[in-house]
Amino acid sequence: MLQTADGYAPFLRRPMSFERVLPEAVAFLYKVEGEGTRLLAAMRPGQTISVHGPLGKGFSIDSTISRHILVAGGIGVAPLPALADAVTRACRRPPDVVIGARTKRFLLCGDVFRSMGCEVYLATDDGSVGEKGVASHVLERLAPNPDTQIYACGPMPMMRATAQIAARSGAACQVSLEAQMACGDGACLGCVVESIFENEGEKMVRVCTDGPVFDAQHIDWNAHNFAYDR
Amino acid sequence: MKPNLEVRIGALRMKNPVTVASGTFGYGQEYARYFDIAALGAVTIKSITLKPRAGNAPPRLVETPAGILNAIGLQNVGLDAYLAEKAPFLRKHGATIIANIYGSQPDEYCELARRLEEAHAADAIEANLSCPNVHDAATARGPALVAQIPERVAEYSRALRAATKLPLLVKLTPNVADIREPALAAQEAGADGVSLINTLMGMAIDPETRRPRLANVIGGLSGPAIRPVALKMVWDASRVLQIPVIGMGGICTAPDAIQFLLAGANAVAVGSMSFRQPDAALQIVRGLADYLEHHQIPDVNDLVGAIAT
Repeated sequence: MLQTADGYAPFLRRPMSFERVLPEAVAFLYKVEGEGTRLLAAMRPGQTISVHGPLGKGFSIDSTISRHILVAGGIGVAPLPALADAVTRACRRPPDVVIGARTKRFLLCGDVFRSMGCEVYLATDDGSVGEKGVASHVLERLAPNPDTQIYACGPMPMMRATAQIAARSGAACQVSLEAQMACGDGACLGCVVESIFENEGEKMVRVCTDGPVFDAQHIDWNAHNFAYDR
Repeated sequence: MKPNLEVRIGALRMKNPVTVASGTFGYGQEYARYFDIAALGAVTIKSITLKPRAGNAPPRLVETPAGILNAIGLQNVGLDAYLAEKAPFLRKHGATIIANIYGSQPDEYCELARRLEEAHAADAIEANLSCPNVHDAATARGPALVAQIPERVAEYSRALRAATKLPLLVKLTPNVADIREPALAAQEAGADGVSLINTLMGMAIDPETRRPRLANVIGGLSGPAIRPVALKMVWDASRVLQIPVIGMGGICTAPDAIQFLLAGANAVAVGSMSFRQPDAALQIVRGLADYLEHHQIPDVNDLVGAIAT
């Protein structure tokens, strides 16, 4: 959770995933959306920033699985370079990466993945780069099967489609969700999403603490109101 | 000179005047990672209900200028899980416990208080009569919260008073025309103290999607934005009450806390600021001690109501 202002404009910290974790530095990749990210973008090298973390449950990597596919939508690509590093180390082989975005301008990190040796598949809604279409269609063509691990991060409709492909194909699938957050520590219960578990004690899961990475089949994709997603 | 920091709320002894606002600190486990929660005057837990509650659909939270709108909807583990897991944790860590409780009828509040007292799982009870995020509040015409209606405050407080010997606090809502009325009703019914304020009702709309930013449409506003409102209400209430006041609403720093003491609060609670800085409440305890030393004030209670008017 990054503090973007000394005063109260804005008041809350901003949750960010690590884009890369390197020996001397960590990196965050973000889109400028509002006041917090605007302030971050205006910071200069040498300034200090208060970071509260690391928090939450990250992706888990099972190196006994043969095929690993990362699926990114837009700014959802942010945590995936770090994941690609980790998969490469654990599995001794870089993963495949599918990146989808609305248009070329929003398609990020392709070079980073290629430099790791990943096979990279691109898709844009307008066909300005890669194939014309969405990331989940590209994923489907890659024919995931029960010996595949999918890792997805992007807009909720993309992750829902990815979860459905995983369910149909028997592939394992982890999704990294985001939510408006206040504490980031699991105390305020502001960042919950609905799981498939029915009983009152388990139904609402905290993105900050029970996630942000979840088993895709544990999320109730029908409960989530996509009108709230950008 | 080592200033005295201990305060009393009825028979409740707090080692210092600082607690945390219910709902902002869970049951202490999350923040115990960062500091010794026993160092606070008390830990005020997230509201417990008899049965576990899942709470409202998301989105439950949106940031507004210098504040937060929340519509959590009283998600909580329920009394049984509190007694089995949460209370033992708090006791093991030496925390003083103010148990915030919520129910839909007086008898639910009474059962909660009785069972908490029996199990030694609370050092005081705080009756949440003022949560704005339950169904009735979103659709009601006219006052819908118990705490908006002095006669109902009296009814619930009297019932609780008869049900428990533990120190009894009544948490008041600011969503009223005159905070003195529910405050006096609680006092008359035998409450040992009142806590105020709970959140102010508010809302936010996304101008692109045209939808409310909260699934519940309305929510409760907290954070620095509400501090002047909270402070004024503490001032109003404490001047007519004989019983102590726990003041809260946007307290972020020790100077903020001191404002509330000067306005008449005997103790304070830190809420939203814990989200930004997990050890904010502890920092405020230290800041208060420093202030007293610096000004050579021997006892924090000397500050209560000491506004110069």
